[in-house]
Amino acid sequence: MITINAQYQSRFREITGVEKEFFHLEQGTVAALAAQITGKYGPLMTALLMDEDSKSLNSRGTLYLNSKGQRVYLEDDLNEGETVFFMVGIAGG
Amino acid sequence: MESRLLRVDLTTGECSVEVVPHAMFERWIGGSGINNWIMWEHFLTHDINCDPRGPDNIFVFGVGPLAGTGSGSGIKGRITFKSPCYGIFGDSAAGGKFPYMVRFAGFDYIAITGKAPRPVYLYLCDGEVEIRDAAHLWGKNTAEAHGALRQELGDYPSAAHTLTIGQAGEHQVGIAAVVSDASRIHARGGGGCVLGSKNLKAIAVQGSGGIRVDNPRGLLAWSRDFRQKIDQNEAIYGFKRRGTLGAVEMYQHIGSHFWRNNQGNMFRGEEVRSDNWVKKYHKYSEVCSADCYIACDGRYKIDGTESEKAKKYVGETFRRPEYLTTGSAAGALDLRDWAEVAHWGKVTNDYAIDNQDLSCSISFMMELEQRGLLSARDKGELFGRDQSLEWGNMEDVEALMHNIVHRENRFGDFFNDGPYWGALRYSEFKGENFMKYAIYGKGGASFTEEMRPFPTWMNNMAVASRGADHLKGIGLVEKFQRRDLSMKYFGRPEAADLTTPLLKGACTAVVENQVALLNSYGVCLFHWMLDPGGFTPEEYYGRAFAEITGIDRTPEELMRDGERICNLEKAFNSRLGLRREHDTVCERWMHEPCPEGMYPGKVASDMFETVLDEYYDWRGWDRKTGLQTASRLASLGLQDVAEVLAAEGALAPG
Ligand code: SF4
Repeated sequence: MITINAQYQSRFREITGVEKEFFHLEQGTVAALAAQITGKYGPLMTALLMDEDSKSLNSRGTLYLNSKGQRVYLEDDLNEGETVFFMVGIAGG
Repeated sequence: MESRLLRVDLTTGECSVEVVPHAMFERWIGGSGINNWIMWEHFLTHDINCDPRGPDNIFVFGVGPLAGTGSGSGIKGRITFKSPCYGIFGDSAAGGKFPYMVRFAGFDYIAITGKAPRPVYLYLCDGEVEIRDAAHLWGKNTAEAHGALRQELGDYPSAAHTLTIGQAGEHQVGIAAVVSDASRIHARGGGGCVLGSKNLKAIAVQGSGGIRVDNPRGLLAWSRDFRQKIDQNEAIYGFKRRGTLGAVEMYQHIGSHFWRNNQGNMFRGEEVRSDNWVKKYHKYSEVCSADCYIACDGRYKIDGTESEKAKKYVGETFRRPEYLTTGSAAGALDLRDWAEVAHWGKVTNDYAIDNQDLSCSISFMMELEQRGLLSARDKGELFGRDQSLEWGNMEDVEALMHNIVHRENRFGDFFNDGPYWGALRYSEFKGENFMKYAIYGKGGASFTEEMRPFPTWMNNMAVASRGADHLKGIGLVEKFQRRDLSMKYFGRPEAADLTTPLLKGACTAVVENQVALLNSYGVCLFHWMLDPGGFTPEEYYGRAFAEITGIDRTPEELMRDGERICNLEKAFNSRLGLRREHDTVCERWMHEPCPEGMYPGKVASDMFETVLDEYYDWRGWDRKTGLQTASRLASLGLQDVAEVLAAEGALAPG
């Protein structure tokens, strides 16, 4: 069992209603974290976080980074105490 | 494909209409591709080294074949000209209703040359054209001029839509912009200066026509599919309310803002780095172009309760600021209140001036003051007064903005072409080198985002045809570390890996080709950035292009079309003498370590030359000179362009 800190921005925060929270995972993977988050917040979060077609994290207009500033993917491992940031990925204007 | 080009010679007052042949769309797709070709042909018979503020410069407005057809992919009109502030290729896009109304009025392209003897505006209505007196509009800002034209022209056969310049353009400020319907800005490159130099205050259109589409059923089916894809993307819901302001928190997190002339890369104000905008100011979302399934535009109205500073702007209402308006105000100038950021956006629109070059000109001065490099005498020489230059002080910002817009003292005159030329002129004036405090890339254009950790993004700043720019080779693959897209484009992951120079130059080249296509279709880039079509405009949007024009291309052929368009822009600059040494960026980006954020210590020089070499290799250009080769141009069907370059010594040897 490991503990992961999830931090949310903009649209993610609107859906969760909190800026950050901890998840306890049996398996230390991004997939396990995503399953807990979508399980907790339901269809809106699932639509935002998951890509139905590719069965991976939705990459369109979103960005998920670990504390080293690297993008995380569903198959990545997570270490105890890691923080994952859920953000929108848009630029320009 | 049916399309009409209106030519206007303001010196003689002659107007003529040409049919744009179908073959032109086969070769140049439309929109920016055709604009570029119109300008290229013009400068085969006029001196390309002419003064961009003189009558020989050309101003082209064009709109691509997808725009206004109901495809739902947004609309961007494009202006193209020789840039007065950078002296190179210039173009700029903006949305709004003006572009499709030009089509409804019976035209797709407008090419303006010469100079009117007095202020005029151009009026187009259902195939008719008039050059009208604009004495009553001169001196008005863009909101006032648009309002006056609306009232004057009435609502028949449609409401009037306008393209106007403000006071900056009237004073021929090099970084002056052109504004569509008083709210959507063609900001970059100085198009407003070109119109001002021609005494053309505005173009007003009214129309009741339609747009012919080759296969309406096919387009409807494409449009339905597109709509579904947009609606399924939950991220777009957030984008509707925040627009590009959604980037503020993310940029703060990774350290990608541009703070105090890029001495830092994170906002300091608590308010401006929060999502308070949405809570306090957002009144409603709207669509900018009536042919867009996203509708990311928002509107604010300040009621004075939002903050202490907001009291000054009670009743002010305008478009929600986009990210770069915020980056220039809350970042470059360190304004810390949302009401001030919003006001900055409105005033720069009203004056019609590029907020990127303007903010970097002002922040250059503020940094000199911060470093104790300005004496009372220096300020007297520049401003004719003891000007305060305090970071985050809106009164100081507005005073300097006013100076540039009206070119009313030495500072206003030196910096009317942006921070590079301003710093150079000031250095020459003082006999001392201040260039290390000027932030710029190619052509002297500036840009208010942190670039140093992002090698593709930095390369874009050095090679973009219109000068340092984020919208030609958009660095999303790298900035958002899209390994999936790197695999898709190159079959390898490195384009998404910030720690290696590999595939960074390649990524600039590929995305530049894609964006050239999108700009030529005439669509809004946000739809593509939010990825409904799989980030492959040559496949997904290519189908809509085929339904509209009847030109059915393979994705490979379309990518070659995109590459052809980029090569014509490059050739234009090569004719003006640009070589490898001009594909560069400023000293701060090149050598000063990135001070903070998630990627501290990065400097452009770590990877710059390697990335640039790779970019030239992917383009098939000569590494040593940066020039195009005859063989690559021939493979793109550009032998005629190669001949022009060869005759002028602007083709790579061998
Ligand atoms: S996405 Fe936004 S900018 Fe683009 S066309 Fe739609 S409303 Fe305009």
